[in-house]
Amino acid sequence: MLMARRVLILALIAIVQMQSAFADSPKITAVLTSSDVVVGETVQLQIQVDNAGTSLKPPREIDVPGLQIHYTGESTQMTMRNLSISSSITYNYTILPEKSGTYKIPPQSIRVGKNNLQTPELTLRVADSPSATARAGSTRAPSSNTQAGEDKIAFAELLVPKKTGYVGEMIPVVVRIGFNSRTRVAEMAPPQVNGQGFTVQKLGEGERNLENIDGRSYVVFNYKTALSAARVGNFQIGPVEQKANVLVPRRSSGTRRKPFDPFNEDPFSDPFFALPFGGLMEQHEINVKSDPVSLEVKALPAGAPPTFSGAVGSFSMTAEANPKRVQVGDPITIKAAISGRGNFDRMNAPELSDERGWHKYPPSSNFKQDDDVGISGTKTFELVVSPNDKLTSVPPLAFSYFDPVKEKYVTLQSEAVPLIVEGNAPANPAIAGATPGPSAAPTSGRQQKAQDILHQINERGKIVSSFAPFYARKEFWLAQLLPLTFALGLMGWKVQDVRASNRAALRAAQLQHERDELLRKLRRDQLAPREYFSDASRLVQLKTALKQMNIEPATVDAETAARVFDLNAEQSERMRRLFATRDEFRYSGAGNGESALSSDGRRETLELIESLS
Amino acid sequence: MKLRARFQILVLLLFALPSAEGASSGGPRRTGDDLFAKANTEFAAGNFKAAIADYEAVVGSGDWSPNLFYDLGNAYFRDGDFGRAILNYDRALRLDRHHPEADANLRIARDQTRSLELAPSALERYLNFATADFFAVVAAIFFWLTIILLILRPGRALWTVAGIFLIAICGFAAYRSENGSQGQGLAIVIAENTEARIATVDSARSVLALPAGSEVLILQERGDWNYAALPNDQRGWIAASAVEKVRLL
Repeated sequence: MLMARRVLILALIAIVQMQSAFADSPKITAVLTSSDVVVGETVQLQIQVDNAGTSLKPPREIDVPGLQIHYTGESTQMTMRNLSISSSITYNYTILPEKSGTYKIPPQSIRVGKNNLQTPELTLRVADSPSATARAGSTRAPSSNTQAGEDKIAFAELLVPKKTGYVGEMIPVVVRIGFNSRTRVAEMAPPQVNGQGFTVQKLGEGERNLENIDGRSYVVFNYKTALSAARVGNFQIGPVEQKANVLVPRRSSGTRRKPFDPFNEDPFSDPFFALPFGGLMEQHEINVKSDPVSLEVKALPAGAPPTFSGAVGSFSMTAEANPKRVQVGDPITIKAAISGRGNFDRMNAPELSDERGWHKYPPSSNFKQDDDVGISGTKTFELVVSPNDKLTSVPPLAFSYFDPVKEKYVTLQSEAVPLIVEGNAPANPAIAGATPGPSAAPTSGRQQKAQDILHQINERGKIVSSFAPFYARKEFWLAQLLPLTFALGLMGWKVQDVRASNRAALRAAQLQHERDELLRKLRRDQLAPREYFSDASRLVQLKTALKQMNIEPATVDAETAARVFDLNAEQSERMRRLFATRDEFRYSGAGNGESALSSDGRRETLELIESLS
Repeated sequence: MKLRARFQILVLLLFALPSAEGASSGGPRRTGDDLFAKANTEFAAGNFKAAIADYEAVVGSGDWSPNLFYDLGNAYFRDGDFGRAILNYDRALRLDRHHPEADANLRIARDQTRSLELAPSALERYLNFATADFFAVVAAIFFWLTIILLILRPGRALWTVAGIFLIAICGFAAYRSENGSQGQGLAIVIAENTEARIATVDSARSVLALPAGSEVLILQERGDWNYAALPNDQRGWIAASAVEKVRLL
């Protein structure tokens, strides 16, 4: 059993050795968390070395003029996939731009074993911002204070990039609350920035980072916000005071530093590993507090342009108007988008540089922020205006703001939008082209006099009991009974007509069938005289009835047949003889006149019948 | 134009005979006549609020007339409530689309408030020559003519298809007229400083500021808020108390 265990351990060691031998070659990458940043905001640089294997020495200082780059710590990641173990080390740096511009972060060399690896060159674009006034000195938290209390369990920092500002100016603020990574935060409310004379934007979600500060690892929560001074004077921002419940490993008197760990860097020397169960941690309520920061707030200079409404920052404006062909009085919507960084909450809509001939409606606005705090973004205003006269363009929009970096007022103006205004009716905001009433006197634009309404009507007039459309009332559906009745009657008549037609057709078919049968019998020349004349006369009756449908065959006599077929005298006489012979045979008894029916007589009779058409 | 007018009159005479019983003019005294006369007297004396109360009482009785709403609109106008003045002029025109006094005063009231109107679609502008009632009646006529044609000449497929096509066209026109910008959902903003918002809370972002008398098309009613189509093709939520539908139930 013992032998088997040893073999297993040796096999595992052999596999690990083989994996190390065939491990991938080391790689290095470097990334910026953002390539675009504004002055006053930080960005993280991460240099990651994969499959390093041995200890490395990262560059502690990266010197780029205009950028403050601070090493904030490292993290190691081990991954095991299909018995293949890989590791990577990430070195973290915080970059704080001091002024706007495009910066190149040069390649950094790190020696890994026999190889000398180089990071790629990185580009960082820094945009201007009001907070760039911090260029004169270190923007990194003059108020910064690491709270060393609570045995370095936690600290609080209040980072304000400026010491002076203007009334209404938005000043970004970062609150940092850090906890020793060997503790666990059980409960913590978002911090609050206290003070008088300024308003503070709502704090965003805390951003959690692992940072190495003075050789110790801290979990740091970064809360971004912005404040805006409401009046002139010297103010004190903060201090930020934060209470939190943290779980701290219990100190164990039996834990001693290991003899081979002179720098106390062995992670297994931590008390947590001496007592590796959560139940051995104890909860502490700690109170961390930052230093306050002083801020001098100056008044905005005199000489504000008439279109200045309190916006402080740095902005740009675009505007468009639609439609571009309208009638006098029709509404035109002007969309003005103001983008940039500043106090959007105090920003009013831009104004028409020349309002003569225009009627304005109250504007509406919509703000889309580009950051967590709401000090940069785009505010879109919709202004509805209507021309009172035949104007040729929508005048430029004017928007003024105070730029705290340039320390002067700036007025933005949009382009004038060409416009076609048709008609000279009185200014009427109607979109619908309602025809003017007979009493609506046509006047023109601003010269229009105040009109008075027409007189009262004392007659009450026709009474109605419903606004519902006619087809939704019962009267409409009752009225449909009239055409419905008519249609039903028409349908009944049509059915009767069709049935009658069918009966006549059926009768005609029967008659035709009988006629054809009799004709065949007569042509066979085998009939006795009595039958022959009976059938022949019947055939005449059938043909007459077929010729004139309202005649019953049995009622047809020689005269009727002669009239219907318009026979001449000779044919009529033969027809009479035919019917007389039939009657003679029928009423005088069988056998009489048998010899009188010759072949010629039969042929003549047949010819007479066939000639009837 | 004359031919069309005669055709409309003929159609309405043929199909609206039963409704003539429900409508009357003149004759014996009717409910609210005294109140209406009293309201007129109060209006003439300049007691506009009292006149409004009396006119509203007549409206409440359910015996409506274009002149009643016109006079009520005038009373609101004189009282400075242009939103309700426009609403009642609209109602007068809804009952009688050729009421010249209501049309004239409506334009004056709209000039006063600079109210916004819903833009009719291209189809609605084209169909504007007649009302939904007219299209419904014409659709009914085409329906019965097609039925009669089918009875008398059942084999005429082309005529049948043409009849069905005309019925569909007129039915669609009636539907569009009834459900368009001037249809059953049309409402007038009666409150001052009304804002259409993106959500059903007062603090929600404003979509459009609507002067009193502006037209909106109610699309959905949800409690104290109405979702409405706004002028210039926008939509938003408006407090139900700030708008009133033109069509009374």
